Amino acid sequence: MKRILVGLFLLLWSGLVGCSTTVSSVPNTVHVRWARDPENLDPLIAKTSGALEVLNLLHCSLLQASEAKGDFIPWLAQEFPQVTLISDSLMKVTYQLRPEATWDNGKPILASDVAFTLKVMHCAGLPTELAQARFGFVRDIEPDPHDPRRFSLLCRGQSIDFVRSSGDFSILPEYALDPNATLRAIPVADMGKPLPQVQAFARRYLAGEFSRHPERVPGSGPYQLENWQPGRQLTLTRKTAWWGDQVPSAPPQLWAYPRQINYQIIPEAATAVLALRRGDIDLYPLIPANEFARLQQSPSDREQLQFLTADSYECLTANFNMRSSLLKDRLTRQALTYLFNVPALIKASQLGHAYPSVGLISPSVKQYYNDSLPLPAYSPDRAIALLQQAGWKQQPDRSWTRTAATGRPEQLRLSISYRAGEPSFETTALQFQAAAATIGIPIELRPTEASLLSRQVQQGNMQILLRNMSGQPFAYDFTPILHSQSTGIYNASGFGSPSSDRLIEAIAQEDSPAKKARLLRKFQQLIYEERPLTVLYFLQYRIAAARRLGKVPVSGLMPGYVVTSIRPDSAAN
Amino acid sequence: MQLSRYLLLRLGKTTVAAWAIISCIFLLSRLTSGDALIRSVLDEAFTQPTITATERAQTEALLRHRFGLDMPLFYVSFSTPAGATSPTWMWHGTTNQYHRWLNSLLHGNLGHSYREDTAVTELLRRAMQYTLPLTMLAALLGVALTFELCIWLEYHPAWRSAMLSILYAVQAMPLFVIALVLLLLLANPDVLAWFPAYGLGSLGAMSPWEGGLGQYLYHMVLPLISLILVSVPGLVIQLSASMQLELHAGYVATARAKGATPRAVVRHHIFRNALLPVLPLLAELLPNLVAGSVVVEMIFALPGMGRLLAEAASTQDYPVLLGAVLLVSLARLFSQLLADVLYQWVDPRIRLSA
Amino acid sequence: MKWKLRRISLLALGWLLLLLLGAAGASTTTPPPDLLNTTVAPFHPDHWLGTDTVGRDVWASLLAGARSTLLISLPAALLANLVGGLLGALAGFFGNTRLRITYGWFGATVISVLAAGVLLGPLWNSPYMLLVGAIGLGAVTGWLLSRSNWGRRLLPIPLDDVIQALVALLDSVPLLVLVLTVAAIQQPSLLGLIVLLICTCWTTAARLLRAATLRTVPLPFIMAAEAAGLPPLRIVWKHIWPVVWPVLLARMPLSIALIIGLETTLSFLGVGLPPEVASWGRLLASSRLAPTAWWLIVCPGMAIFLTIWSLQALTKAKTFNVTTEIDVTK
Repeated sequence: MKRILVGLFLLLWSGLVGCSTTVSSVPNTVHVRWARDPENLDPLIAKTSGALEVLNLLHCSLLQASEAKGDFIPWLAQEFPQVTLISDSLMKVTYQLRPEATWDNGKPILASDVAFTLKVMHCAGLPTELAQARFGFVRDIEPDPHDPRRFSLLCRGQSIDFVRSSGDFSILPEYALDPNATLRAIPVADMGKPLPQVQAFARRYLAGEFSRHPERVPGSGPYQLENWQPGRQLTLTRKTAWWGDQVPSAPPQLWAYPRQINYQIIPEAATAVLALRRGDIDLYPLIPANEFARLQQSPSDREQLQFLTADSYECLTANFNMRSSLLKDRLTRQALTYLFNVPALIKASQLGHAYPSVGLISPSVKQYYNDSLPLPAYSPDRAIALLQQAGWKQQPDRSWTRTAATGRPEQLRLSISYRAGEPSFETTALQFQAAAATIGIPIELRPTEASLLSRQVQQGNMQILLRNMSGQPFAYDFTPILHSQSTGIYNASGFGSPSSDRLIEAIAQEDSPAKKARLLRKFQQLIYEERPLTVLYFLQYRIAAARRLGKVPVSGLMPGYVVTSIRPDSAAN
Repeated sequence: MQLSRYLLLRLGKTTVAAWAIISCIFLLSRLTSGDALIRSVLDEAFTQPTITATERAQTEALLRHRFGLDMPLFYVSFSTPAGATSPTWMWHGTTNQYHRWLNSLLHGNLGHSYREDTAVTELLRRAMQYTLPLTMLAALLGVALTFELCIWLEYHPAWRSAMLSILYAVQAMPLFVIALVLLLLLANPDVLAWFPAYGLGSLGAMSPWEGGLGQYLYHMVLPLISLILVSVPGLVIQLSASMQLELHAGYVATARAKGATPRAVVRHHIFRNALLPVLPLLAELLPNLVAGSVVVEMIFALPGMGRLLAEAASTQDYPVLLGAVLLVSLARLFSQLLADVLYQWVDPRIRLSA
Repeated sequence: MKWKLRRISLLALGWLLLLLLGAAGASTTTPPPDLLNTTVAPFHPDHWLGTDTVGRDVWASLLAGARSTLLISLPAALLANLVGGLLGALAGFFGNTRLRITYGWFGATVISVLAAGVLLGPLWNSPYMLLVGAIGLGAVTGWLLSRSNWGRRLLPIPLDDVIQALVALLDSVPLLVLVLTVAAIQQPSLLGLIVLLICTCWTTAARLLRAATLRTVPLPFIMAAEAAGLPPLRIVWKHIWPVVWPVLLARMPLSIALIIGLETTLSFLGVGLPPEVASWGRLLASSRLAPTAWWLIVCPGMAIFLTIWSLQALTKAKTFNVTTEIDVTK
C-alpha cells in the first residue's frame, strides 16, 4: 500500500507541476506584500493602513505629507494655502486648485467638488463619524465668486496643524455621486439634519456599497481598481490618461510610474519571505529584523534583492503610571529607566535597526531634537543611587522599602504590562525584569490581551506600560499622550500639571520654527526630568525589494516606501 | 421508537441547544470585551491633533449608537443604581441588545460586519468557498488513510511499534511547526521548490475554481498534507488501540473457527466493532470542516473561516464572530446527532432515548 | 512479547524518571535573558544546545520546561481526561431518562433559586446568610412538597442532553472569548490556567467515553447487575468504568501534546504561564520568530515526543494487563 501511495503521489504531483502555469502579469508591475486585508475602501471611512495607502493612489487630496520637505505639500492644490486669521479663534484657509486637474471624464475638478466632499462627510445617516470628528474644525466652505477653482475653508483653531489637516482628505467627484447636484443648495452645517434631500442622498450613497466597490467612485488619482479579492490580493492599474501627466515638470507627488500595482495579502512573515525569494512579490515592507539580517547575509539573495532602511517616527516607550504611589516621585522613575539596557535591546530585538533618543522627538529631526541631553544609559549603580535619593532603603534581604505618604511602609515591587504576543515587548520586559532583579526589585510581567490592556490603561490599572507610539515629523501636538485632559484616555502616565499643559498647548500653537525649537527643547528637558515616560528607541523601517525594481524611494512615514516613484522598467536597462 | 420520530425529537432539542449556546456566547463576548472595539477605533483617531476631548466623547456616543451598544445588554441587569448602596435587579424591557439581535437572527439576518460594512452572510459565504474544499478533501483523505493504515497495521504487527512511534512524533508537533517545516522544505528555493509557497494561483479568478482544478490542487498540496498530518496520528492511535482490544473478544475466535481469513476477520469483524469508540472523533471532523484551521490559513495565506473567526474575535467584530460561531456550533450539534444515529447503526443493541 | 514489553516499559520509566530528576534539578531561578547571544546554534562551548531568541540557554529551558510539564501539563491532562471521562460515562449510562428526581424536590430547587435571586440585592453584603437561607428554604419546601402525591411523582433529568450541549458549547466558544471571560473573573494565575486547560480539554474524553459506555450498557452483565438491583453509581464505577477506561488510556498521551500546545497559545493571549517560566511549548513557539533555528524545534519536539511515547508505552503495558484480566473473567 505504501508503494502505491508513493506512486500515486508522484503521479499526481508531476501532473500538477505539468499543468501549472506561471503567474502572468503585465510588465512594469510592482507586487507588494501586505499582512492584512484593507477591509474597507470607502474614502471617508477607511481606517487600516493598507486602505489609506490604496486611497492615496485612487484619490487625490488637496495636500500631501512629504517627509523630505518636513511639511505638507500641494497636491490637488496649486500651492500651500493662504491663511487669514479671523478674530482670535477662527481662520480662513484659501486654496487654489490646479488648473490641469480633471476627473476621468475630462471635467475640471472645482471648488464645488470640495464642497460636495465636505457635505458627504457631514451627511446624516452615513457611517462617517470619525471623519466628522477629525474634520469637524472645518466649519464651512466659501467658493470664490470669480474663480470656480478658488475657495476658502472657514476653520476653528489657528495653528499650523489645522491648516495642514484642512487639506488632508480625498476629494470626491460630484458628477458621479450626485449627478443632479441635489446637495448644492444645502449648506455644510445643515447636512446633519434629517432633510429629505439629505436622506435621499444618504440612501443612494449607502446603496453604492463603496466600501466594497471603490471602483464605483471614480477618483482623481492616477490609479483605478482592477480587481480585489478580499483576503487574497488587490490590483490597481494606471489610468492611461491622467491629468497629472499634463502638468509641466511634474513634482514627485504627481509621479505615477508603475503600470500596475498588485498587493498580495500574506499574513505569515516566513511565507512572505519565501514569496519574496521566489519572485512572487517584489517588495516586502516592514520585514522582521531577523529575516532582514538573514537575507542580507546570504550571497544568492544579495544578488536578487536590495535592502533599504528608513528612520521612522515610531518609537518604543515605557510609560510610568504616576498615579501609583510607588512611582509618584520622579527620582524613582528616573532610577527605573537606568535599568533598561537600550543598546542590548536594539541589538537583540531589532538587530541594530533602531536608534536611541532622549525623548519623543526623533534624532533625525535635527532642528527640534534636544542634543544636549544624555542618551539613556544602562547603569544599575546609578539606579541604586537615585533610589536612595528617593528615600528608598535597601533591607538585608535586598528588597527596597520606604515609608509612604500614608505613614505605612511600602515595598518597591512593580508590574510591567504590555500587549501579549509581541516579541519586542516581551524581550524588553524580560531584560528589565532581570536587571531589576540584580538590584533587588521584584518585577511581575503582565502580558495582556490588547482589548483588556487598553481598558486597564484607561482605568489607570497598571504600573509600567510598554507600547509603541508613532508621530509625524511635522506635527508636534503632545496633547493626546501627555496633556492632563487626556488622562484616562490615551495618557497612560497620568502626567500633566498646569504649567506642562500650557507648554504643550504653546508648542501646538507656535508657527515660527525658531520659537517652536526653543519650546520643544524645553519640553524634552521637562519630560527628561519628570520622566512620565522614557523612549527606549526609535524604529527603522526595513524594506527588502527585488533588484529589478531599480531605486525604491523609502520613507519614515507609513507605509515606508513611495510606490508611485518606483520605475520597474528602468532597472532592466 | 421510529427513526423519524427520534430524528424529529432530536432536531427539536438541537435547535434549543443551538439557541442556548449562541445566547451564551453572545452574552459572554459582549460582557467581557464591552466596547473594546469602539475604544480601539477612537484611540487611533485621537492621536490626530484636530480632535478635542469633547469631539471624542461625541463620536463615541455616535459610534455606540450606530453599533447598537448604547442599549442595555439583556432584559434584566443586576447593578447598583446611582445613590443606592446595594445592587438590585433592573428590568429593561425589550429595548435591549439581546432582544434586538435575537429578533433579527430569527428573521435570518446575521447583521453587518463592524469592520468591513459587509453582510455577515456574504463574508461567511466567501470564507466557506475557500475553506470547505480544502477541509473536505483533507478529511476524506485523512479518514481513508487512517482506515487503511489501521487495517494494514493489524496484519503487519512487526511494523506496529515503529509506525506508532512515528505517529507519536508527528503528534508531538503543533500544527504551525508542521506547516512551517513543510513550507521550508518543499517550497524553499534553497531546499526543494516543488510547490508554491502560498495562495491559490490564478490571480484574476474570483473563485478558487476558475483557474482550473489542476492549478488549485497544486496549490493545495502543502495545506492538505499539513491538515492530514495533524489529524491522522490521533485517529490512528485511537482506532488501532481500539482494534487491539477487540482482538481478544469472543467473536474473533468464532470467526476464525468458521474459517475466515485473518484479513477478512480484521476488515469485516474487528474493524466495524472497533470503529464505535472512535466515532466521536470522526464526527468531530464535521464541525472542523466548517471551522477551518486558522494556522494553515495564516501560513498559506488562504482567506478562510479560521482566519475570519480569529480576526473577528480579536477585533471584537461581534456580528461576524457570532455568525461564524453559530455556523460552527450548528455543524457540531448536527455531528453529535449523526454520531448517535451511527452508533445505533454500527451496534444495533444500542438504543438511545431521544 | 512479555519481555519486549517489559524492556520498553523500562525505557519509558527511565525517561520519565529522567524527566523527574531534570525537573527537580532545574535551577529555581530563571536564567536571565542574554541579549548579546540570541539564537546561538548548538555545540557552542557555553550553550551545548544553543540559545533561544532572547538568549536563554536551551538546555536550561528544557529542564525548567520539564518542571512546567510535570506541574501543569500532566496534572491538567490527567484531570481533564478524568473529569471528561466520568461525565461522558455518566451521560452514556443515565441517558435522558434513567436519572430521575421527584417533582417535589425539583420544585423546591426552583423555588430556592428564585428566592436567592430576589434576595441577592438586599442581602448583598451577607452572602452566607443568603446561602443558608436559600438552602434552608429549599429543604423545608422540598420536605413539605414530597409529602403530597404530586410531589412524589418522578421527573426524568435529561443528563445526556445537558452534557452533550455543554460539550458543544465549550467546543464552540472561541478561545479568545473564553480567555477574556476568565480574565474578567480573576487575575492570571497558575490555578486559573489549569482550570482553563481542563475546561477546554475535557470534551474529547467525554465524547469518547460516552460512546464506549453506550456500547457497554446493553451488554448482559450490566443488565444482570441492574436486575440485581445494584445502585446505578455503583454499576458505573464497578462494572462500566473498568471496561471503558482503556479508551481513555490511549487518549491520555495524545492529550498531553495538545495541552502543551494549548498552554502556549494561551500565553500568546496573556493568560498562560508567566513569560519568565520556561515551557517546551514556548520554546517550540519561539521557532516561529526564527524559522531557520532548527534546534528550537528539534529539542523541545524530542522532549514532548519522548514523554508521550513513554506514557503510551506504560499505558500499553497496563492495557495488556487489563485485557488479559477481562479474558480470564470471560
